[in-house]
Amino acid sequence: MRRPKKPCPITEAGIRFVDYKDDRLLARFITDYGKILPSRLSGVDARHQRQLSRAVKKARFLALLPYVKGQQG
Amino acid sequence: MATHKMRMAPTRPYEIVYIIDSALEDAAIAEKLEKHHGLLELAEPAEIEHWGRRQLAYKIGRHEAGYYAIAQVQAAPGTLPEFERALKLDDTIVRYMVSLVEHVLGAPLLSEEELAARAAADDDDDEDDE
Repeated sequence: MRRPKKPCPITEAGIRFVDYKDDRLLARFITDYGKILPSRLSGVDARHQRQLSRAVKKARFLALLPYVKGQQG
Repeated sequence: MATHKMRMAPTRPYEIVYIIDSALEDAAIAEKLEKHHGLLELAEPAEIEHWGRRQLAYKIGRHEAGYYAIAQVQAAPGTLPEFERALKLDDTIVRYMVSLVEHVLGAPLLSEEELAARAAADDDDDEDDE
């Protein structure tokens, strides 16, 4: 049995290209440890997942998001 | 010949994010940005968005907070190496990132037609919103 496809939350938000400076949006797509959430869990479509992945990496470099969460220092 | 080249150099849109030492005064920060932007030989002044002081997601050296500023510029690519060299030598710039603006980021403001089309489309699938 195939599960019905989830709608892409990023498309639904009307976002054409994911902004690496929008840390509040990006924070919704990372795990409790700070890893990027797989699209099979978040329902993000492939194009936006690619953008998201780069955006998260840029945001990490800019210290907007942690590389590893829940760790001291 | 060099001047000829400079005049002809096509510009590209760049977005520059700075993380500046939060201990600096606002006036000093503005002055510093101005000085660095001078190296880019901009035709129009940079559009600067000041986020202000903000907690860093992790420590960078001894810094736990930084002053964020985002500049939008139209610069010739040839001016970038000299500009970046100056940023690297500047101890009060904790981190910076220059990126080419290839797409409008985030959700752009929709035109009125688009808004109308969207409102019409939304009428049908509003029910399955979380």
